[in-house]
Amino acid sequence: MIRLIESGTAALRGLLLALSISITSYAAGQEQLTLLPSPAPDNSSLSRVVANESGEIYLSWVSQDADQATLAFARLTSEGWDAAQVIGEGRNWFVNWADFPGLSVDSSGMVAHWLQMSATGTYDYDIRARFYSQDKAAWTEARTIHTDGISAEHGFVSMLPFSDGTTLISWLDGRETVHSEPPGAMTLRAAIFDKSGANISEWKLAHRVCDCCQTSSAMTEKGPIIVYRDRSQQEVRDIYATRLVDGAWTLPQAIYNDNWQIAGCPVNGPSVAAMNKSVAVAWFSAKDDIPKIQLVLSTNSGLSFSKSIVVGSLNTNGRVDTTILESGDIIVSWMDTAGEAKIMLSRFDITGGLLGTTKVAVSSASRRSGFPIIEALGNSVYVTWTDIDATPQVKVARIDY
Amino acid sequence: MLKPRKPLYALRLLGLFIFGMTTFWNPLTAAEYNDGNWRIVNYWSKWCTPCRVEIPIFNDLSVRLAKSNVQVVGVNFDEDPMELTLEIARDMGIEFTVLSQEEVDLLALKLPDVLPTTYLLSPSNKVVAKLIGQQSEQNILDALTHQGLIRVSD
Repeated sequence: MIRLIESGTAALRGLLLALSISITSYAAGQEQLTLLPSPAPDNSSLSRVVANESGEIYLSWVSQDADQATLAFARLTSEGWDAAQVIGEGRNWFVNWADFPGLSVDSSGMVAHWLQMSATGTYDYDIRARFYSQDKAAWTEARTIHTDGISAEHGFVSMLPFSDGTTLISWLDGRETVHSEPPGAMTLRAAIFDKSGANISEWKLAHRVCDCCQTSSAMTEKGPIIVYRDRSQQEVRDIYATRLVDGAWTLPQAIYNDNWQIAGCPVNGPSVAAMNKSVAVAWFSAKDDIPKIQLVLSTNSGLSFSKSIVVGSLNTNGRVDTTILESGDIIVSWMDTAGEAKIMLSRFDITGGLLGTTKVAVSSASRRSGFPIIEALGNSVYVTWTDIDATPQVKVARIDY
Repeated sequence: MLKPRKPLYALRLLGLFIFGMTTFWNPLTAAEYNDGNWRIVNYWSKWCTPCRVEIPIFNDLSVRLAKSNVQVVGVNFDEDPMELTLEIARDMGIEFTVLSQEEVDLLALKLPDVLPTTYLLSPSNKVVAKLIGQQSEQNILDALTHQGLIRVSD
């Protein structure tokens, strides 16, 4: 049974009371769902929630006013949200419901990225980033993280604190899709950046990947793992993973053979989470036009994975995210589209046993509702999404397990 | 050459078989089939490369089907405001009708899982074909032929 915890002002309590009517009708376990006040303004969307190793929660979002986009963030303290801080703004950003800015945090600093249209080329955009050093208490100037100088599509970024304040950034890079006949394919690249934003090492990890799906990365006991949607010559778009082991990236391997063959863009990338040797990867597929969300687990830092576990099927449009609780349980967020769309959190133990599913909020299958994002802190999960019922606004909730 | 006649589905299929992958075909008029409109509904997005590749095919089809009861319409998958959608459509070279979100809602289609996706809708808005991913012109013609909406001529 979900117990609803009220917090904040009387107005918030009223809202929570209204919400509790629907929330409490979806009993799933002993978890407690708390809707938190949102630090994001009206006309905000594209939010992400991320925690650092000190247990601080950060929420980032994009707000839009006419053609100007602003990327901002706020930190959650015991007193509530700090004042929001602006990281960047512009009138030439590529603002997209599936490919949107991110924030990476650790105790030494932060990295934020967004997408900015190239000077030429209608569909071309670059990945811009700013690096914040805790020592200097200052952000660097914005810089383009890829050095190709080619006007093409670059995006679907994943960022991961690496070591000694460095950050591993992976992205889809379209430099080979232009200026050649026949056009080349979208590639997966990654690089390590220091606190100042300098590129230390860079790799091309995959030479032909799906153009329109998110990448995801996580840190295992043995090093980082990156997952992405591959694209074979036969247009099979299954999920692959590569790991950095002893300074070299492993040959990408399919985590599961869906054999989903489509000459198109699913716009539904995989998500990976890791804790010590445990790794969880969730993803969406729709082979034979049957939508399905699956999960595979690893207990050896991604060296091998379990058989797939079906998280949801038929009534879903994917939009998955994953995180791992301190207890070792795995949480998968996904969209349930049976009737009105809902944001769901399913909890699994490390053997893949389903422990329960919780409805977080009513949402919309519309693209404007974006991708819900989750982050574990201890045995709680923070979830953020965009409510588009009226004026779009970023929402945040916490589920205590 | 357009020849008013009732759909002779089997004969048309036979014709298609005999003449192979011919591109000589003629749409039926509304009077030949019924009073309603069929629709080819193409979901696209500005950032979707295979969507952009398909656009000339649908531009061509919209012209060739102009006098028939088959309408080619487009839907911006990203649900941008109509003004922006029309601007993007211009940039992409889209020459067929682009639906507003209100018009899309009336069709009550399941949002596609993949871009591009093209639906063929009957006059009662029933989905009779769902073409997932980038399509060739022949694929679309085959779908229309299968429904008896066009015929191959020599």
